[in-house]
Amino acid sequence: MKPFVQWKGHSLLALIARLYLAGIFLFACIHKIANPADFAMDIATYDILPLVFVNPMAICLPWVELGAGILLLAGYKSRGAAMAIGGMMLMFLLAIIIALVKGLDMSCGCFASQAMESDPIGAWTVVRDTSWLLLALYVIVFDRHPIGLDRWLEKRRQT
Amino acid sequence: MTKDLKRSLWDSLAITLVFSILGLAVNAWVHPHPLKFIADEPYQTMVPCPVPGGNTTPIDPGDARLFSPDSFIIDARDNGDFAKWHFTKAMNVPFDYLDPTPDKVLEKVAEKAAASGAKRVVVYGDGDDPDTGEQLAKEISGRGIKNVFFVKGGAPSIEQAKPGGSR
Repeated sequence: MKPFVQWKGHSLLALIARLYLAGIFLFACIHKIANPADFAMDIATYDILPLVFVNPMAICLPWVELGAGILLLAGYKSRGAAMAIGGMMLMFLLAIIIALVKGLDMSCGCFASQAMESDPIGAWTVVRDTSWLLLALYVIVFDRHPIGLDRWLEKRRQT
Repeated sequence: MTKDLKRSLWDSLAITLVFSILGLAVNAWVHPHPLKFIADEPYQTMVPCPVPGGNTTPIDPGDARLFSPDSFIIDARDNGDFAKWHFTKAMNVPFDYLDPTPDKVLEKVAEKAAASGAKRVVVYGDGDDPDTGEQLAKEISGRGIKNVFFVKGGAPSIEQAKPGGSR
């Protein structure tokens, strides 16, 4: 187990995972920030949250996605950002699984408020979100700041 | 929990908090289409109930099977449209996109079809997109009725192909 954890390649892989996740979340937040009412409708369609929490969630969540995406891209507080993304992925996964168990035929609402036909929830959505959750965990565990502000700040502190 | 992990957890909470506040501020003062912080009314979410999809066969409105005495005909349109015109001997089973057809109605369909000695069930609907006839055909087929057909284009195409029916 130790040689696996200490493998130097993790640093590069974690960097790739970090940038990939940043791209995904920056792309995902654009439509939601521009159209909070559409996103609120998507959240309400899941029929999980009480009405009082639907709009605050629709307003805040895309901005957390934006913030985490920017920080991952910049390599600043990247583990914290990956943790925030992991938390969101866990939440999305639970919501999708609950909707699937309820038998709801609906759009995922992950990237845009799309027609049900183009982005329906299903086993594929669960697999996709699980893979992103695993990537976030990978970044949390193996990110060693090969490129980014964290590394630059660390070097400045050392000199 | 290591010190690093603890610090990352605090970072993640700080990120969530700071960007949530930023989002609320932008929504309140900058966004061209701001969202009310608390919704006044429940959202009208229309999520169709999953319809068990069975095997069905489309037939043309001029297909001989539609006029065969071996066919049990079902009209999937609403009562109003059924009253205006319907295919002779058709049974009215209005299709509802939100509620599945009640079991009692399906039992009645099965009973009547068996009593008539029909070899197949032919459904027609409003001919819209989606067509209620096709939807009902899939539903009843998925719930155990065998040999179900639906008429392509629904009632309008039947009327066009062979005017008649009854009031």
